[in-house]
Amino acid sequence: MTSSMSATSAALALIALIAVKLTHLQALVIFALVISVAFGFLGRRQPKERVKYILWTLLLFLLVGVGIGWAMYPFSH
Amino acid sequence: MAEETTVQEPVGQPQNSRREALAFVVALAGWLVPGLGHALQKMWGRAMICFLTVGVLVWVGAGMRGNLFNSRGNDAFDSLGYIADLGTGGFYWVARSLETNGPDVSRADGDYGTRFLATAGVFNLLAALHAYEAARGRKA
Repeated sequence: MTSSMSATSAALALIALIAVKLTHLQALVIFALVISVAFGFLGRRQPKERVKYILWTLLLFLLVGVGIGWAMYPFSH
Repeated sequence: MAEETTVQEPVGQPQNSRREALAFVVALAGWLVPGLGHALQKMWGRAMICFLTVGVLVWVGAGMRGNLFNSRGNDAFDSLGYIADLGTGGFYWVARSLETNGPDVSRADGDYGTRFLATAGVFNLLAALHAYEAARGRKA
C-alpha cells in the first residue's frame, strides 16, 4: 500500500517535471539551437567547421522565424 | 582468329551484399534507439547528439502536450503525422507514456509540441539514413 502510494507520488512528480511552459520565443530558440547543433554534428566533421555551421544555421533559423512572425503580424489584426 | 571473350566475375560482390545487410541493421538500430546506428560505428559524438536531440525534442513536445498521432488517423495529414512520430523509434512509446493527460492543441503550446514531436521523428529518420550511408562507406 505504502509502496504503491510512493510510486504514484513519484509518477506525479515526474509528470509535474515534464510540464513545460515556454513562451513562443523560448520555444523558437530551443528548437533552433537543438536542430542547429544536431545538423552541425551530422553535416560537418571538423570542429571548426561544425561551430561555423552551427552558428550560421542558428542565426538563419532565428532570423527566418522572427521574420515570418513579423510578416504574419498584419493578418492577426 | 576469333577474339577471346571472357566474362569477368564481379569482384567483391559477397562483401558488398554483406556490407549492405550490415548497413541495413545499423539503420534499423539507429531508428529504434536514436544514436545507436552511429554508436555501432564508434561515432560517439554523433551518437550522443542524435540521442540528446531526439530526447530533448520528445521531452519538450510531450511536456507541451503536443499531439502524438496514432494509427487511427482521420485524414492524410494524421497519417503523415503518425509516420513522422513513428520516426522517433522507441521514443514514440516514451512520449506516449509521458503524455498522461493527452494532447491539448487548443493552445499554441500544444500546437508547438506537435511540431517538436514530428521534428524529432523526421530528424531521427535523417540520422538513421546518415548512419546507413556511413555504414555503406559513402559518407562519414
